[in-house]
Amino acid sequence: MYLTREQEKMLRGEYGWSTAKAMEIIVKVGEALGAEELVEIVHAHISGVSYSTIGRYGAEFIREIILRGGKTRVFTTINPGCVDYSGFSGIIDNSLLDYQRLIDDPLREAGVKPVFTCIPYFYRTPLPGEHLAWGESSAVIFANSIYGGFTNREGGPVALAAALTGFTYNAGLHLLENRVGRVEIKVNARTLTMPIGALGLWVGEEVKAIPHIRGLRGVQLFDLKNMLASAAASGNHALIIIDEITPMGTFRLDLTEKVEPEISVLENYLGDNCAGSNILGYIGCPHTTPQELLLIARLVKRHGKPRRGKLLVTIPAEFTRIHRDLVLELRAMGVDIAAGTCPVVSRFKEKFDCILTNSGKALFYLRRVHGVKVKLAGVKEIVKQLSGVQK
Amino acid sequence: MYRSEVKQIVPGPCSGEVVLVDSYISFFGEVNPEQGCLSTLENRCFRGKVLVFRGTRGSTVAPYIIYALRKSNAAPACIIVAEAEPMLIAGCVIAEIPLFVAGNYSELVKSIQAYSNSVYLVVKGAELLLYKRV
Repeated sequence: MYLTREQEKMLRGEYGWSTAKAMEIIVKVGEALGAEELVEIVHAHISGVSYSTIGRYGAEFIREIILRGGKTRVFTTINPGCVDYSGFSGIIDNSLLDYQRLIDDPLREAGVKPVFTCIPYFYRTPLPGEHLAWGESSAVIFANSIYGGFTNREGGPVALAAALTGFTYNAGLHLLENRVGRVEIKVNARTLTMPIGALGLWVGEEVKAIPHIRGLRGVQLFDLKNMLASAAASGNHALIIIDEITPMGTFRLDLTEKVEPEISVLENYLGDNCAGSNILGYIGCPHTTPQELLLIARLVKRHGKPRRGKLLVTIPAEFTRIHRDLVLELRAMGVDIAAGTCPVVSRFKEKFDCILTNSGKALFYLRRVHGVKVKLAGVKEIVKQLSGVQK
Repeated sequence: MYRSEVKQIVPGPCSGEVVLVDSYISFFGEVNPEQGCLSTLENRCFRGKVLVFRGTRGSTVAPYIIYALRKSNAAPACIIVAEAEPMLIAGCVIAEIPLFVAGNYSELVKSIQAYSNSVYLVVKGAELLLYKRV
């Protein structure tokens, strides 16, 4: 692999042990994937920072590489941790708080912006063609598909290594020649009456090449976020080209196949039968945008407080400050708010019979992580079902 | 004796008794990082041995599990796979476990099985040598 003089110095250890180790990770992974050079990045987003998923040794690795002198060389954000940073939530178990600090404290020390969110694009929106090194599959697919940023799905240590060096390997989706849509998916209007997470889960499972989707005009940005996250969870997708949305010049098309999902097929992706007395409604996977919070507040006002179960909403850590009034209003109406975390990477205080969520990604992971039944529903349907009032 | 080519991904010495798991492994959920054993396959353990398997699948937490194997002194001596994907490579780099891609994986598996799994494997440069244990 060709390295610049600066990159070689990093690798040789002239910038310290941590930078050398980080550079070694990137060069080795890059060489194995056939990269000929590295590419400079403008934003790293580190996933795999929740103590409940990476455990003691993952925490030790992050601590070692940072405490031995690692500092971020580019703008860097981090994914949710395993605890509710607002202290508001009665549902998320905060007993691992001290352990989570073992990861958070050194990361802050290294210069990471402690956003604890899976929607880092709300802190720095990528420009078309910008090179990024992001972990977190739902953020990666959003950056590539909506903004035309260039990033692969990096694993936790690789995104961390990219943050500490400012470079990543130039392969995969960093090269325009690999950003080619092969399968055209036509979405008809009737399909869009279903929870959009089902469409995402279907795309992830059934389409393997890079898709090009038509028929999503007028769909809300937060619904696209949900659909993309679901496809990235059930499949390996990192880019879905969306007609009239994905910026021109950041992809090519060479369509060889055409598919049109039917409602009857998507119904198979709606999850389990939701019954039982202890039902949890969950919205915020990926984390909610301010528009979604407004929508939830409006719906709860119209349909009434959650009475027939609890309603959990997860938000970026900073929203408790910048959207304080809205967050407090939701809490006053009986909505449980957790900031900087989500149930995929944390633990519950209690066991639920079933989880009702708008997110296909949450459906995919909550079944596996918590072994609980999960059903997909629209945001309005969730609020109405929990309030128990038919209007 | 069987001999074939290997591609070095993470450099380092590689020799020892072979543990063959002819499938895809998800390190997160299927490997016990404290003991160096596979929970899904009759608890087969690979601590200090040459672990041969097809490739990895599943969660991006995998690199941290591989690192955990090293920290708890339960890591394999080296790993030989058919396909090396980024998660596995990153894991082996941070855990300093030598990693190789077999030139002809299916032939290697057949040879290991022909020796009734009782084999000793050595990697010398770009060459892999397989001996029957006596």
